[in-house]
Amino acid sequence: MIRAPGRATSRSDTLLFLTCLGLSAGALALPASVSLPFATTLRDTALRPLLWVQERAEEGRTSRTRFEAVEAERDSAALAAQAMAGLRSENERLRALLSLRERVSSTAVPAEVLHQIDPTGGRTLLLSAGAGSGVRPGDPVVSPDGLLGVLLSVGRESAIAMTWAHPDFRVSAVTEDGTVLGIVAPSFNTEASESFLEFRGVAYRDTVATGTLVMTSGLGGVYPKGLPIGRVAGLGREQLGWERIYRLAPLANPGHVAHVLVVRTPAGPEPPP
Amino acid sequence: MSPRRGEGRLFLGFILLFALHFYVRPRVFDGRAAPDFLLCALMLVAVRSRPGWAAVAGFLVGLASDVLTPAAFGAGALAHTVVAYIAAWGRAVFFPDNLLVNAGLFAGGVWLRNAIVLLASGTPSGQLSSGLLVWAPLQAVSTAAAGLILLLLFRDWFAIRIEA
Repeated sequence: MIRAPGRATSRSDTLLFLTCLGLSAGALALPASVSLPFATTLRDTALRPLLWVQERAEEGRTSRTRFEAVEAERDSAALAAQAMAGLRSENERLRALLSLRERVSSTAVPAEVLHQIDPTGGRTLLLSAGAGSGVRPGDPVVSPDGLLGVLLSVGRESAIAMTWAHPDFRVSAVTEDGTVLGIVAPSFNTEASESFLEFRGVAYRDTVATGTLVMTSGLGGVYPKGLPIGRVAGLGREQLGWERIYRLAPLANPGHVAHVLVVRTPAGPEPPP
Repeated sequence: MSPRRGEGRLFLGFILLFALHFYVRPRVFDGRAAPDFLLCALMLVAVRSRPGWAAVAGFLVGLASDVLTPAAFGAGALAHTVVAYIAAWGRAVFFPDNLLVNAGLFAGGVWLRNAIVLLASGTPSGQLSSGLLVWAPLQAVSTAAAGLILLLLFRDWFAIRIEA
C-alpha cells in the first residue's frame, strides 16, 4: 500500500493523472476491430479467475432461486412437445406436396449471463459460453421471451453479446402475418426508464395495429426467420409522408435474463451458378 | 497494532471486497441498482494513496470494467480515473478515516462514475436523464449502505473511526 504523503498534489501525480486520462481517451477512440480483440484477450487471461468465480456464483443463484421457474418452463415445454410429432409429420407432408426444400435447422448453445455493473443499461452482456462451446461472432442470442441480440466477440470461455439496447443494433423484421417488412433499431427517444425499439422503414401505405407481434424476417442471413422481437406499442412518427416508424415494446429484457441460447445456424447450400 | 499487521488486514479487506463483488453480488443482488463493491475498494485505496497512484488504480479498475462490458471501450477507464483522482485529491479537505465521510465518498463516487460513463458513451437524452436521476442515485445509495455496513463490521481492517 502506498502511503499518503503530507503535501499536496505534486507534479508527478499530475503527470500520472494526465497519462491515465490520455490512455482512456485513446481507448475511447479505438475502433471496435482493435478494442474488442484486446478486451477478449484480457478476459481470457488476466480476468479469467474473476469470471470463473462469478460463473460459480451465477450457478449457485440459479440453483437456489430459479429452480421453480425452470421447472415450470420445462413442464410447459414438455406439454408443447407432445404435439410436435404430429406437426412435424404434417409439415413434412405439406412440404413434399409443395416441393419445398427442407427447412434449415438450427442448434442452440446454452449460456449463462454474467451480469456486470453497467451504467449504460445492458447494451452488452457477458456470456459464459465461448469458442470452446462452438459459438461464433454473429450468432444470434435469444431468451425464452424473444430475441436479445447478437454475439459481438468470442473468447475461449466467454463471449460478449450486443443487445437490442445497443445503438448499433439492427435487424430485418416482419409482422407476424408476414405482410409488413421493416428494420428494427433501438429508439433514441426513450422516456424515463422505458426502453423501446423502433420498427422503421414501414411503407406509408401500410399500417400496423397496436399489439402486433414483430419477428425476424430471416433476410440478411444473420438472424433466422421467426424469432419474436417485440409488440407494436403505437405509431412513433412519420417521415415526410413516405415512411411510418412504429414504437416497439421489446419482449426480452437484457437486465433480468439469467440464461440465454446462442443459436447456431449451419451454413446454407451454395447458391446455383 | 504493528504497521505490517495493519497492512495485512487492509489487504484482506480488499480481497473481501473483490469476493463480494464477483461472488456475493451476482448471487444476492439483481439489476442496475446493485452495490458496486469494486468502487468501494477503489475509493478506500484512493483516499490512502497519492492522487497520481490513485488515478493509476482507477484506470486499471476502469479498464477491467471496460473489458467486461465493452459497450463504449475506454469510458469506464476515464470515469474511474477521474473519480479516484478526485477522491485522493479531496483527502486534503476531509478525514478519510471517518465512517460517514467514507459512506458519502462511496455514494458520490458511484454517481460521478455513472455520469461520466453515460456521457462518454454517447447515451441518448432520455436514457441519460433516467440514468443520472434514477439509477445512479439508487446505486449510489445501495453502495453507500453496503459500504457502511462493511466498514462497521470490519472497521479495524480498514482503520475507520466510529465517532461521526
